[in-house]
Amino acid sequence: MTANTTEASLPMWRWDPLVRITHWGIVVAVIVNALVVEEGSAFHIWVGYGLAALLALRLLWGLIGPPEARFSAFPPNPSRAIAHVREIASGTHTTHASHNPLGALMVYAIWSCLTAIIATGIAMAPPSAAPWTNLEGKEHAETGVQAAAPVAAEREEGGETEERGERDESPLTEIHEIAVNLLYLLIALHLAGVIFEARRSGRQILTAMLPWPTGAKRA
Amino acid sequence: MRVHAFRSKSGDGQTWTVAAIVALQSLSAAFFVADAFADLQRDGISAHIAVEGPIAVSLFAGIAFGARRLRTMLADARRRDSALAAASGALGEVVQAQFAEWRLTAAEADVALFALKGCDVAQIARLRSTATGTVRAQLARAYAKAGVGSRAALVSLFIEDLLNDVPVPAARRAA
Repeated sequence: MTANTTEASLPMWRWDPLVRITHWGIVVAVIVNALVVEEGSAFHIWVGYGLAALLALRLLWGLIGPPEARFSAFPPNPSRAIAHVREIASGTHTTHASHNPLGALMVYAIWSCLTAIIATGIAMAPPSAAPWTNLEGKEHAETGVQAAAPVAAEREEGGETEERGERDESPLTEIHEIAVNLLYLLIALHLAGVIFEARRSGRQILTAMLPWPTGAKRA
Repeated sequence: MRVHAFRSKSGDGQTWTVAAIVALQSLSAAFFVADAFADLQRDGISAHIAVEGPIAVSLFAGIAFGARRLRTMLADARRRDSALAAASGALGEVVQAQFAEWRLTAAEADVALFALKGCDVAQIARLRSTATGTVRAQLARAYAKAGVGSRAALVSLFIEDLLNDVPVPAARRAA
């Protein structure tokens, strides 16, 4: 052993706090809405709007954040992703300041999927029918989406609204559910990709996103 | 190194606070705007909306301002880190060059570097898996080659050059 410990004293690169907060905030929101709360309940809608806010903040950060967090650092580029796959196959390593090209595709896929889920979710439970709305919204707070459809229908003045409300709801629900299932698939792929990359190139990819400080690994 | 760890940690705490506030503002803004949107749909333009409008604008302005502030803080922290890394790399080179000039053996140079970093004899012995007696002998030879009598004197040989521009009270009195 030598006294030259420059490697240990180099700070490990981590994602900035805002990236980590939005990442884990969205993780919590997805887990809560998928596993904990009742589908379409008032709380489900609350969490969904919160998730939308976090995603919007991350997208804003993609425009004005530090270099690695910006879209320009990880453009969606299939040919670079293919080049990256070849690199993996040939066993060479290049370090990427931001997401690697494959990871970047995953990021955009997950964001698109979340956007579809949020858009259909808001369409099913618009602000005017959301659980925090005063007056008539309050009475529906307990029943959530079931209440949201009639409230939305009332607004669409006229007689045929009742059936239209019924018909409009089902494709939205269907898209919402398909997108959610797609999201689960993407999450599984994301986890598999992270585990694969951690085995290939080391723990850095894991520690970069951990929500707590890691400093103990310096020997 | 210890100072560095302390400073980057405290800087980290500040950026975390700002990031958390920005995230909280975003959540609040989403619910506030959704609520204002519902009011607008229900009541149209009213005094209530006239009040909520500026609040929404200030919320978004707060988010934008906070996000920009956060980016500046992160950029500053990065600049500090790289300056510190450059300085510590330069100091490392100076130390190694000086050790070479004193013709320290590899073992003596290692032990002397640990001593500079603040390890005591027992720690150095443990790190190098040798006896404390060996370390003491190697340190003594390193001090002798450097022409100093103690660890403090060895450290000050390197610190002295970094403090050339700092006025010393005694020097001022002499002048």
